Amino acid sequence: MINAYRHTSKWLVIVPVIAMLVFVVAPVLNIFSMAIQIDSFALLTTPTTRNVVWFTTWQAIISTIMVLLFAIPIAAITANFDFFGRRMLISLISVPFILPTVVVGVAFLELLPTSIHRSALAIIIAHIYFNFGLVVRIISNRWQQIHPYLDDVARTLGASRTRLFLTVTLPLLKKSLRSAGLLVFLMCFTSYGVVRILGGPAKSTIETEIYFQAMQLGDVSGALVLSISQLVVVGVLILLTTQFGTTNSAEFGQTVYSRIRRPQNLGQKLFIASIALMSTFAVLAPLVSVVRRSILVGERINFFAWHVIFTDPEIFKSLTTSLKYAIFTIAVSTTIGLFSACAIVYGSTRYKFLNILTALPVVVSAVTLGLGLIITFDVNPIDWRGAWLMMPIAHCLVAIPIVMRIISPTIRDLPNGLRDASQTLGATSWQMWRTIDLRIMQPALLTAAAVACAVSLGEFGASSFLVRRNNETLPLMISRLLGRPGEIIQAQAYAIATLLIVACVAIIGVVDHFGTDKRAI
Amino acid sequence: MKRRRLKHDFKNIFLSVAVLGSLVSACTNSSPNDNSSTNQDDPKNSDQVTLTLLAYDSFTPSVNIFDSFTLETGVKVEIALGGDAGELVTKAALTAGNPQGDVLWGVDNTLLSRAIEAKLFSAYETRNINELDQSARKLVANNEVAPVDTGDVCLNYDVKWFADRKIAPPLTLRALSSANYANLLVVPSPITSSSGLAFMLATIAEFGEDGWGEYWQQLKQNGVLIVDGWNEAYYTEFSGSSGKGDRPIVVSYGSSPPAEMIYASPKPATAPTAVAALTCYRQVEFAGVLRGTKHEREAQLLIDYLTGIKFQEDLPLTLFVYPANTKAKLPAEFLKYSLRPELPLQIDPELIAKNRTTWLDTFTNMVLR
Repeated sequence: MINAYRHTSKWLVIVPVIAMLVFVVAPVLNIFSMAIQIDSFALLTTPTTRNVVWFTTWQAIISTIMVLLFAIPIAAITANFDFFGRRMLISLISVPFILPTVVVGVAFLELLPTSIHRSALAIIIAHIYFNFGLVVRIISNRWQQIHPYLDDVARTLGASRTRLFLTVTLPLLKKSLRSAGLLVFLMCFTSYGVVRILGGPAKSTIETEIYFQAMQLGDVSGALVLSISQLVVVGVLILLTTQFGTTNSAEFGQTVYSRIRRPQNLGQKLFIASIALMSTFAVLAPLVSVVRRSILVGERINFFAWHVIFTDPEIFKSLTTSLKYAIFTIAVSTTIGLFSACAIVYGSTRYKFLNILTALPVVVSAVTLGLGLIITFDVNPIDWRGAWLMMPIAHCLVAIPIVMRIISPTIRDLPNGLRDASQTLGATSWQMWRTIDLRIMQPALLTAAAVACAVSLGEFGASSFLVRRNNETLPLMISRLLGRPGEIIQAQAYAIATLLIVACVAIIGVVDHFGTDKRAI
Repeated sequence: MKRRRLKHDFKNIFLSVAVLGSLVSACTNSSPNDNSSTNQDDPKNSDQVTLTLLAYDSFTPSVNIFDSFTLETGVKVEIALGGDAGELVTKAALTAGNPQGDVLWGVDNTLLSRAIEAKLFSAYETRNINELDQSARKLVANNEVAPVDTGDVCLNYDVKWFADRKIAPPLTLRALSSANYANLLVVPSPITSSSGLAFMLATIAEFGEDGWGEYWQQLKQNGVLIVDGWNEAYYTEFSGSSGKGDRPIVVSYGSSPPAEMIYASPKPATAPTAVAALTCYRQVEFAGVLRGTKHEREAQLLIDYLTGIKFQEDLPLTLFVYPANTKAKLPAEFLKYSLRPELPLQIDPELIAKNRTTWLDTFTNMVLR
């Protein structure tokens, strides 16, 4: 707690609390109180549900294990070696994490042989693709906090490299592996878009099943029961991650040692080159296949689709809509995220509940929240169901938890000595905040804004639910175009997907060039 | 001491809720972008009514089709797309009595009972009632909705594929389970697609409640491919359309062959696809005035327009369905290539409503997983 800001933090906490109460808690409680019936709980014991829960769990476990297996070697080279293109590689493997689900879905439909379309394998491959970059970053950061002295001691005592890794490095990485693993498990467990696009009708996770129950079977009560069961699992996992998150955060500010050195022998060089090349290829292959489809119509190169997406009034409108909503999301979610981060760090420990409150939009299934919003904002003066505002608000709800978690570590780790000094020199608390905290936060704010932008550009689930005519965003446009026949129209969908890929690459570029603390890479 | 501070905090929170609430309402009332029809109390709009027509995503009539309605009545029409027909009905059921729009287009006979039970509609007998298809009208007891179009979900096959191999195309549902047609059929899933559901109902109508499960087991052994939606089945996996699929038999519509002919360039000499007439299941779509609309009278006028000759004659070549209005003339090209079975398979809407969940559950456990 920081005394100088304590009074203000009481006011800061109000904004995120109201936002979450009004747009998440109230709608969700509303839909539960309106639609749920006790006898729907019988649904939990049916074989269909059992199958779905089982599939959701095992695909998430396999995906998580595979992600960790792929990420460790890459983290090993980025944390230990200096080589040509190292920074570039780290940026590149981060791109998939912020790519829109729709884009990754169509990319893999294009890339994978048709024999594994509509299979669990396709889902798992896409999950690995989405998450491995994030995990590399988490593990690599922790790895760089391990003092190289430990390695030297072990080696001097005669330990082989394998033994060094297994008995020294791995135990020290354990915590970060566990929290990264939990995070990935959470992502795969609640996966929706990937499962819908790549899994075919036979593969259903709890999240997709909630959708089927509510929309196709018309059993909203059953859908809510399923979403409660998902909420329980995810809630427990989130509690675990935030717990690990806090123990981890103690390490966040730790010294980063210069473990990084030039590779010393041919073996190391080969190891680095092969891992770097393979991961580059893995990231680029699906993206290239998307670009290829955008300019290839029946074996011939043709830029017609590119011409169309900038001239067709409907598509161009979705482009401007997407940009407008992205700007709205950046402004609102960064502000609210900043407020809650400040409230948590500066304020009393009571405000820690904000951690959980702001995680709600991610925990609650999108269908539940969407239905809640529809039935809640339907009386004057808040009859917003037809209003364009609902969609960017949904984007903000998804972005806020992420934004908050990007900002809060930087102010948490700020040494109090700086503030004490400025106070002694007679600065008011506003002056102090502006000149110290805000300055230090600037890179994180930029990162947060960029990520919020990516979230808004790619958001599909909630958007498809709240869309009206005339406010389609780019991902919705992609899915609409893909539903129409004809190669020329399909090429337009791929051209839009390419645009979104370019935007995501640019966002990662901004984040890595201006945003993050350079030492942490 | 601690408790008092907590109380103080809560007071702050509540005060700000009140302030923010009033701010928010002030903002929404003056928002120029708010184009919702339910905000008609706004004095700026009082001279002209804008109706919101809720429809499924694939509702694509001619672009200016509502211009003449606006000209006649002074009422504007805005279309709001709300997902597929299932999503549309679910959302409408949750908001019954305080609807998101004024008129709903696209409840079909598989969803009709659910919609009527949920009391979505305010009954209205359209002035065109006597011109509407008899058998379709019989499905609605109290004029809650009006039939607007009909269509048939049938097996379509790739004519050239069968001719090249000198194999007879499948003409009945029973034939599909024979070894001749192994690995040739692609079907949209009944869970996620209305045409898939219609096909499943066709098999129930044909083989009975006791026999359809066994039939699907046979189809499964015979290598049926089940995909998410009709688009994917028809345009990606089917060999007879623009896609490069390798399956020559698909579940589609009786009106798919004219679509292949009319929108092809250059036009083929003979239709590339054909319909197996004995496999057809009749789909009827309805439109109705949503209960709780603030513009009941205008919404009723729109129902009259939707069932009227002008709009009905637009349907065959835009939605590829048959008009429900028997006075509407059909384009010659459409008549020439489409197939209208005399005795389509059908199941009573109430029986569907009663068993829908059980049937789909059976299908999921038996065929999909």
